[in-house]
Amino acid sequence: MKLTNLFIAAFLLQLFSAAGHPDIQRAKATDTARIIILTTNDMHARIDNFPKLAYLADSLRHQFKDVFLVSAGDNFTGNPVVDQYPDKGYPMIDLMNRLGYNISAIGNHEFDLGQENLNKRIEQATFPFISCNIDAKGATFKQPEPYIVLKTADGLRIAVLSIIQLGENGLPDSHPDKLKGIHFEEGIGKALTYKYLKQQSDVFIALTHLGIEKDPDLAKQMGELDLIIGGHSHTVMERPMMVNGVMITQAGSGLKFVGKIILLVADGKLVGRSFELINLNSIKGKDKIIQGLIDTYNSNPALNEVIATAAQTIEGEDALGSLMTDAITDRLAVDFAFQNNGGIRISELTAGNILLKDIYKLDPFGNMVVKFNMNASEIKSLIGSAYNREKTLDLQVSGMSYTLYVDSAKVLRDVVITDSFGQALDPAKEYTVGINSYMASSYRFDHRDAGVSLYTTTAQALIDFLKAKKTVNYPAVKRAIIEVVK
Amino acid sequence: MNVYINQKEIQIFDGATVRDAVLAYDKKAHEFLLKGKLAVHDRFGNLLENDGELTPNQLITIEPTHSDEIN
Repeated sequence: MKLTNLFIAAFLLQLFSAAGHPDIQRAKATDTARIIILTTNDMHARIDNFPKLAYLADSLRHQFKDVFLVSAGDNFTGNPVVDQYPDKGYPMIDLMNRLGYNISAIGNHEFDLGQENLNKRIEQATFPFISCNIDAKGATFKQPEPYIVLKTADGLRIAVLSIIQLGENGLPDSHPDKLKGIHFEEGIGKALTYKYLKQQSDVFIALTHLGIEKDPDLAKQMGELDLIIGGHSHTVMERPMMVNGVMITQAGSGLKFVGKIILLVADGKLVGRSFELINLNSIKGKDKIIQGLIDTYNSNPALNEVIATAAQTIEGEDALGSLMTDAITDRLAVDFAFQNNGGIRISELTAGNILLKDIYKLDPFGNMVVKFNMNASEIKSLIGSAYNREKTLDLQVSGMSYTLYVDSAKVLRDVVITDSFGQALDPAKEYTVGINSYMASSYRFDHRDAGVSLYTTTAQALIDFLKAKKTVNYPAVKRAIIEVVK
Repeated sequence: MNVYINQKEIQIFDGATVRDAVLAYDKKAHEFLLKGKLAVHDRFGNLLENDGELTPNQLITIEPTHSDEIN
């Protein structure tokens, strides 16, 4: 009899709860519900702390019935173990599946995988990737949902809307070739069209990949949100920010931290929220199964993959630098490329098999290729300033050769450049030049163009080049020389 | 794009990270940053990680993490 009454009460409760919103069928918890959300962002393929995160998540799941695990995007790019896995990026999906992730934002670096690979990874995921300002109609990339609604055990509804950042060119920060056919709408403006989700949910969250500079703007314009879980700027937020009544959080990068959010919901209203930044190094426990998996991934045999053959030993900075810069001009379609000698970290690639891991020994820094539009005078300035740093030849080159004329006191007198056809550069022409991000930041040279990252590492360009060429030969290559003049 | 480090305007390529901007600002500061002797904060006072992606006109500050270690 008592049980029957309980069912009737539950039915009436559901009926009256839904009455205010006839299109919404939702149950209400009668007591205060405690919802735990663990947040990560910008993991960038750093997998080593997954066993600790798994331990933490499982511990909380034993204590609380509603524990959600979310990522604010940029799961991929940054660790060759993941990036060079035969199914590029798969280890992240495998680990996130095993840990029970509920949702991920689409970050700009998700597209680094390429649209086809990203589709495959998303299909393999047991959780959705979402974003509201991506229009993929006509693109290879499959249209993501703008939001999803998570449900607690008691039927509370948590609407989660996602937004991806756009750079000044109107595109997410990834190589433009990776974004072909996709239209991106201004994120905050698009998000505002989803304000109605507030009325259809008990908790309304934006899972953003906008960065901490933009999240407060979203909060100011969208006070309907209860919470912004952010990413992109790799911000370590010891305390949450409160803007317009919206709590903003972010948890660093590289899976060094996890955010722990506690939401208290009573009678369909959010009555409390808190944020704690947890340093995963402080977690003593580890999930042994996940640790075993990490050990397997870290011994990734793919790094021993033969990616090309060197017909002869490629020896010395001239030959190795020529190979590295040829990769940039070939793969990234720039007229010229430069590589500083300091960034060439091995003395040779021996004749025979070139392994994937050899490339990370040759070029271990993770520098991006940065493209500049430069005229001949500016290119001379770059070469000259590089020489003047240490009064020695510093730059290896592709697409041209050059001679530095210096006097007996090592003072630079002239730079003479010829293109690959032996012709002088046209002083009226603008050329595209690719250099690494270290040089782009630290070398002082004349350039009107501030440059733009091509979001491809120099190492990745070389790997792609070698895989395409299959066999390379750089015997006695010398494209840059110094001549002493009186 | 331009960013501001300790109120100094720095021109840096689009897509630059915190590490890139600090290197453009000062090579020695970059060395200290990589050694963990300097920390970078945003205009809200939050710590930014070295590989954090910057946005145009962002204001950041670099400060010693342990002032006695930088001389």
